[in-house]
Amino acid sequence: MFPTNHKTIFVLDHTPYFGISSDFPIDFDVSKSRGAGYVPLPPICKSLWTCSVEASVEYCRIVWDLFPEGKLVRFIVSDAAAHILNTWALAQQNLTHILNGLCLVGPVRRGAGGDVVGLCAAIESLAEASPIQSSRPSTERLFQNRGRIICITSARDDDSIRSLAEIALNTLVQQNKKASAAQPPTTTDASTSTQSLVVHYCHLVIINVTPEKAETRVNNQPLTEMGGGLMGVEVIVCRASTLANLLGKLVLPHYRLAITTVTGIPMKEEQNASSSANYDVEIIHSAEAHAGLRASQTAAEATESVVLRWWTPRGAEGGAGGCNGPLWRVTPADVASRPSACLVNFLLNGRSVTLEVPTRKAGCRSASHVLAAQGGELWIGALGGRTPYEDPPALSEGAGGRVTDYRIKEFGALMQQNKIHPLRGIGSNTRARTKLQRHTTYWPLTISSTLIFNLGSVMEPLTRLVVQESLTEDEVETCRGVLLSLLGMETRHEFPSAQLPANLRGKSSGRREEQWRQVWGELEALVRAHSNSSPHRALLRTLLECRSHNHSNEGESSRATVIRATTDSPLSPVGAGNGNGDVWAPRNALDALLGAPRPPRRPDFAGRLTAGNRIATLYPQMQQDVETQN
Amino acid sequence: MPTVILLDVSLSMSRPVPSSDSTENHTRLTIASAAINTFLDYLCVHSKLEYVALVTFSSTYEVTIPFTREYDNIRAKLPHLEEGDKTCIETAFIGVNQLILNEWGYQTPMQIILITDGSIGTGQIGRNRIIQALPLPPTYPVRINVLPVVAPNDQSLQQAIPLYQKIIDLASNTNSTISNTSRGAIYSPDTLNVPGVITAMTRLCEQQYQEFWCSLKCGQLEARVQLFPAPTPASHDGVSATYTISNQLHVIGFISQQDLGTPIALSKHLVIPQAQTNNNTNRENYDTKTPTKEGSSTDGSTDEENISDPSKVPNFCVLLHGALKVESMAAVVQLGVDWWGTLSAWCEAARARRSCLLLSVLRPGTSAAPWLGALDQLGPIDETTTNPESFPIRSWRSYSGGGSGCAWARPHALLADVQKVLRHARKLPDKTQHLYKELNRLRRAAISLGFSELLTCVGGALERECASLGGSAPPECALQLAHAAAALRDPRTALDIKHTLQPLATEFTVSSMSH
Repeated sequence: MFPTNHKTIFVLDHTPYFGISSDFPIDFDVSKSRGAGYVPLPPICKSLWTCSVEASVEYCRIVWDLFPEGKLVRFIVSDAAAHILNTWALAQQNLTHILNGLCLVGPVRRGAGGDVVGLCAAIESLAEASPIQSSRPSTERLFQNRGRIICITSARDDDSIRSLAEIALNTLVQQNKKASAAQPPTTTDASTSTQSLVVHYCHLVIINVTPEKAETRVNNQPLTEMGGGLMGVEVIVCRASTLANLLGKLVLPHYRLAITTVTGIPMKEEQNASSSANYDVEIIHSAEAHAGLRASQTAAEATESVVLRWWTPRGAEGGAGGCNGPLWRVTPADVASRPSACLVNFLLNGRSVTLEVPTRKAGCRSASHVLAAQGGELWIGALGGRTPYEDPPALSEGAGGRVTDYRIKEFGALMQQNKIHPLRGIGSNTRARTKLQRHTTYWPLTISSTLIFNLGSVMEPLTRLVVQESLTEDEVETCRGVLLSLLGMETRHEFPSAQLPANLRGKSSGRREEQWRQVWGELEALVRAHSNSSPHRALLRTLLECRSHNHSNEGESSRATVIRATTDSPLSPVGAGNGNGDVWAPRNALDALLGAPRPPRRPDFAGRLTAGNRIATLYPQMQQDVETQN
Repeated sequence: MPTVILLDVSLSMSRPVPSSDSTENHTRLTIASAAINTFLDYLCVHSKLEYVALVTFSSTYEVTIPFTREYDNIRAKLPHLEEGDKTCIETAFIGVNQLILNEWGYQTPMQIILITDGSIGTGQIGRNRIIQALPLPPTYPVRINVLPVVAPNDQSLQQAIPLYQKIIDLASNTNSTISNTSRGAIYSPDTLNVPGVITAMTRLCEQQYQEFWCSLKCGQLEARVQLFPAPTPASHDGVSATYTISNQLHVIGFISQQDLGTPIALSKHLVIPQAQTNNNTNRENYDTKTPTKEGSSTDGSTDEENISDPSKVPNFCVLLHGALKVESMAAVVQLGVDWWGTLSAWCEAARARRSCLLLSVLRPGTSAAPWLGALDQLGPIDETTTNPESFPIRSWRSYSGGGSGCAWARPHALLADVQKVLRHARKLPDKTQHLYKELNRLRRAAISLGFSELLTCVGGALERECASLGGSAPPECALQLAHAAAALRDPRTALDIKHTLQPLATEFTVSSMSH
């Protein structure tokens, strides 16, 4: 249940020996000599302590970048006493905490003591339950408690290493005895987190660090089992200068990770922004990400870094768009390098990039992985072969595919109006949906199914304003102006289609009266659909006035009422106008929220359907009956 | 999900099936063919886009028909299959694995229908040996169904059932991380004849090949759509609950393709509009829509010719696709509680003109695309919104351990940091603040690494810069450099992490400006 890498403990040797220099000079005056008389800086060497700290911290960085939870690392600094820098608590599992602790420990001081204290403390720490382990109900306490101890020290010879391992094993055995003895009474109140667990397996990695030229009598020792499989001991001898490299390699098998080298990343030069050079960046991620490549790889190749080439994304094509599989977290192997930082920033900005397997064959590319950011973290995903949705059916052959006069431009405008933005606070989604709901209340899909939306500037102020949540007095007035000008056009016996763009004019057929009836009908549907607020209802009354006027014979009296109605104050109470019987509006907030301000539809008169544009006759059967009788 | 029909053509499949009706001579193989035809018929009606391959096996395997949507190729092949020798299931699975990995990679969820005759030809020991040899679980997510063409009371079936169950179980615990596919099952026919097997196959189809219908809503505009392939429930790491796509997808709003970027999708689905009957094409958004499946809309109850041809009835999906393409925008869609997706016009690179509407299902949760901010806080701006934020939203979390800047394991990183300090030192007095900021950063890192040698060295470098100042340099430079160098090496504070180096407060600033 809990793998060995659930718990890792670094034991760092802080004894006086680690204060000595690594004898690996770093020269600061690398490039330009600045003329005569310029005294070069003496090269400096890190101490063994500095080397072991930076290497182990780097190991941690990789672990924590890739596994924000579930993989725990602790630090124990060992000199005369064991300084425990952090606990298993999640709040202490971060680099800042460790670095602060290291500051307090300070550089190596004189004094006695050795790594034994730290190693014993480490084994005791392994017995402490991690937060996840202690959150298990006591009935499920039968999990395997395993862990790894990485001890960075320096021993005289193989014998002292062996005695170190034996001390560790003895401590472990004693520790387990205590823990299992304490087990029976604690089963009753197992909730206490202080209870120590039996350690089922401990992987002890002893890294023997020496300065550059020092002789050592310690030899590498492969993983050997001790104490009947209770402990596995591994000894690695290493120069201080290569310690970081060593731990960088060790972290891979410990957490089943692999390295991908992204090659050929084009980057602008700092000095010379017009040109770009290609860089390589190494990234670390779960070894599973390479599973797809393994088919074409030998075992040796799979453990090596896999080289994949950067495939510059073009537009929306490629990128994470092609990935629909699992994702693994990614962290750069060399976090401080400029190319790494560039790549990380590129991805964090929401761009993604496809990686391809470099092939020698020209013109043949095979995308294999994709890198992208998500949640402020970097991820790698593998691209599969085919997708089940490839070769889709043509949209033009499906439903609605052969309609050619969709109002695409208008819908584009609607999309622009309904663009969403990052806001603060809850309910933003709901507001966006309400707005869309308003904007689409009356929205014919095709050009041929509407007249009013094709009338352009004559109609535009009204169609634009009416979708608003509420209207100001001026806006109602503008809309009234539109209605009145339409009325004027109609009384001048103009065709509404005269306003249409030339290419549409031919299409709208029908007699003039027919067209006007459609215009008024559509307008009514549009305004009625928005009659939620009182200004809207006032507008609707005006519209109904205009319409009723339109359908009655032109008489002075009706004209007068139209004028009165149009000058009606928008603030006048509902029903003040004489068209109040016609105005249908939602009664309560629920109706308004449901956005269903629609007149209940009655099935259309069957006779009209068959009659088409002609006048429908009533009771045709009676006529037939009479004829048959005759 | 692409499907492999894994058909047993071993000699035992050619055994005749006793039947009361003497006019028809059936063997197990012909009954199996009938089952396959039933399966293909079902796909034709419900899932025409599914890819199907036919693999036959006995002691060897053969990819008889590679993955295709032309089901007639498979039908045509069925009567002409060659008989093999003995059933060898493990070999067959090796072949299937190879076929699938080559064609679909290891991420596409697959289905395998194993059609065999229920006799594995071995006893218990042999069965265990077969189980040992099975190349399962495969590296790709798969659901395996077994259809044994055998009478339910057959002795050999009792022997075979544990093997089939093991195959199904192994397939479902694939180590692939997508494994949200549900389990397969054994579909044994009730009687060993054509109708019995067809019933079993129909049951299999209905349980394992459900199409997914939902309505896509944008305000009051709506269209009935099919999602292909059918989406599977998703789970969120850390949360045990699974997320299921609701049958109403609500468009929240629109966003330009550029702002959207390419958030990583859990899965992608074609959005296929379905025909809908409307009495009145003029105002379809007022009418209730009765979704119809293919073919049934042509009932011809209305005399308008348009209605009888669904492709001539305006459909919101087509409009949406066109507008998304023209404006190069994407729609953000709510898929369910706390779950979002995006809709965009998509076309295969190879077939640029055949474009379609594609739904990308994002990871559940509000943080699926961090550069868009929390997805539940996407909303419209109105006049009252004062200076709204714009995309992309910067991440609050800096990458890699808070950039504490002590990754000096590689010498070049250390060099770069030291050079930076020296660059600032050469540009005094303008860069005084920068110099101290960098010095403090360097100091902090050096102290935590116990790297006091570095501080001594940088102190020396600053003194050298001080010494090499030209006569024309303002006096403040020399003072600041000397101050910084001394402060770095002050034994009282050198290793105190809480101490911060401060610039020297100098009155020369004023006088040097007055020159």
